[in-house]
Amino acid sequence: MDNDDLRRGKPTNHKVFGEDIDVLAGDALLDFAFEHVAVSIVGVTPGRIVRAIGELAKSIGAEGLVTGQVMDINSEGLTDVGLDYLEFIHVHKTAALLEAAVVLEAILRVDVLDDILDVTKSSKELGKTAGKDLLADKVTYPKLIGIEKSKEFAEKLRSDSLELLQGFDSEKAAPLIALANYIAYRQN
Amino acid sequence: MVFSTVLTSVPNLYLTRKPKDIHIPIRCLSSPSVSISSQSNLTQFDLKAYWAILYAEITQKLEEAIPVKYPDQIYEAMRYSVLAKGAKRAPPVMCVAAYEIFGDNRLAAFPTACALEMVHAASLIHDDLPCMDDAPERRGQPSNHKVFGDDMAILAGDALFPLGFHHIVMHTPPELVPESRLLHVIAEIARTVGSSGMAAGQFLDLKGGNTVDFIQEKKYGAMGECSAVCGGLLAGARDDEIERLRRYGRAVGVLYEVVNDVLLSKLTEKEGTEGQEKKGKGYVSLYGIEKSMEIIEELRSKAKNELDGFEKYGDRVVPLYSFIDYAINRGFNVSDLSQ
Repeated sequence: MDNDDLRRGKPTNHKVFGEDIDVLAGDALLDFAFEHVAVSIVGVTPGRIVRAIGELAKSIGAEGLVTGQVMDINSEGLTDVGLDYLEFIHVHKTAALLEAAVVLEAILRVDVLDDILDVTKSSKELGKTAGKDLLADKVTYPKLIGIEKSKEFAEKLRSDSLELLQGFDSEKAAPLIALANYIAYRQN
Repeated sequence: MVFSTVLTSVPNLYLTRKPKDIHIPIRCLSSPSVSISSQSNLTQFDLKAYWAILYAEITQKLEEAIPVKYPDQIYEAMRYSVLAKGAKRAPPVMCVAAYEIFGDNRLAAFPTACALEMVHAASLIHDDLPCMDDAPERRGQPSNHKVFGDDMAILAGDALFPLGFHHIVMHTPPELVPESRLLHVIAEIARTVGSSGMAAGQFLDLKGGNTVDFIQEKKYGAMGECSAVCGGLLAGARDDEIERLRRYGRAVGVLYEVVNDVLLSKLTEKEGTEGQEKKGKGYVSLYGIEKSMEIIEELRSKAKNELDGFEKYGDRVVPLYSFIDYAINRGFNVSDLSQ
C-alpha cells in the first residue's frame, strides 16, 4: 500500500518474501493473535478474556486500524487535507491500537485487584460477600503469591499503564489515566 | 463394481455448470445398504428447504452486521463480497446443522455461523488478489479487487477477519453458550484461518509442488472441518464427538472440491472448450478421472462412517448426511435460494 522498502530498520516483509507471502503472513499473524489471547491467558475469567477479544477485534477492524489506513490512502495527493482529517487518520491508525492495549490491561487486571479486595475488605465495603475466594479455595493472586506481592503486582500494572500513556497530550489522556488510577485504588 | 445413478426426490435445478446429462455415478446414501428407517428419513428430508431458510436468516444477519458507515468504500467492499448473490453460505449452514445434533436453540449458533461466512469471504478476497491466485471472477461476479482496487480489497479482508470475532463476542447469548466454550470457538476459527490452516494451504498452492491432497485439505477441508467443529463446540459436545465432527467436516469439504473438479473436467470435455483450468493442480489433472472417482467414493464413505457414530442422536444427524449426497449430486442450485 505505502510501497515502503523499510520498516523498523529492516527491509519490508514483501521485499524479502514477496507480496503473496506478505499477505498470508499478515493474515496468519492477525489470527494467531486471537488464538493466542483465547488460549494462553491464565488467571483470568473466561468472561474477561472474551471481552478483551472483543476490544482487540474492534481496534484492528473497520472501526479502527483499517479505517485509518483507508483514510491514509485516500489522502494521497490531496492538497487541502485539514487537521481534522489528519487527526481522524491518526486516531484510527495509531491511537486505536494503543487504546486497545490500555483497555485490555484494565479488563484483565481487574481480576488481580478483585482477588486482593476479596481477601482484605469487609462485605460492607465491597458490596459483595468478602472472603468467598478463600472459602471456595479458588486460585487467586493472593493465594498464589501472597497479599503483599499481589499489591506490588497491581501497582506495577498501574504504573505500566501510565507509562504507556506518557507520550500523549495529558488533557486528552486524562480519562485513561483516571481509569488506571481508579481501578488501582478502588475500594470495591 | 455396480453403482446406481443418482437422483433425489427434490426438484432438480442444476448448477449452471452442470448440464442435465452429466452424472457422478456414485452410490448415494438413499440406497438399500443404508438402514430402512434412516433411508426413508433421508429421502424425505428436504435439504433445499432447510438450506433456503438458513440462507435467508444468515444473509439477513450478515446484512445487519455490516452497515455502511464513513468511510463508505471499505464497508461497500466488505458487503460486496460477503453479500454476493452467488455465495452458498455452506460454512454457516454446516455450523448450524452440526450444532443442532446436540443443541436446541439455533440462536446460539447464528453469530458464529455469520462469523464463519465473514472469515470465509475474507480469505477468498485475499486468495483472488493479483499477487495470489489472480482470479478475475468469484461467485459469478468480478473479484473484489477488480471493483475496488487491490488496496481496498486487502483492507476489506483485513477488516472482515476481526469483524467475525467481534460479531461472535457481541452477539452470542451468554446464557446459551458459556464464555469458556466461546473461547474454544474463537481459537478454532483463528487456528483454521491462520498459520496451521488455510494460510498454509494457500502458501503451498502458490508455491506449487505435487502436494494437491495437502493443499485441498488445508484450503477446502479446513473450512468444512472448522464449521462442523464450531457447531459442536457451541452445543457443548464431548471431545470425541468434536473429533468425529472434525473428520466428517474435513471429508465433506474435500469431497465437494473433488466433485467440482470432476464436473468441470466433464463439462470442458463435453463442450470442447478450455474451461477455467486450475493450472493443472486439480485432482483430475493430477490423478485422472478414474482415480478421482475412487477418491470421491472413499471420501463419501469416510464422511458417512463418521456420522454413523452419531446414531444415538437419530434424525438430528439427517441434515449432515444429506450434505454428503448434495456434494456429489448437486440436486439443486444453491444460488437460486437467494431469489
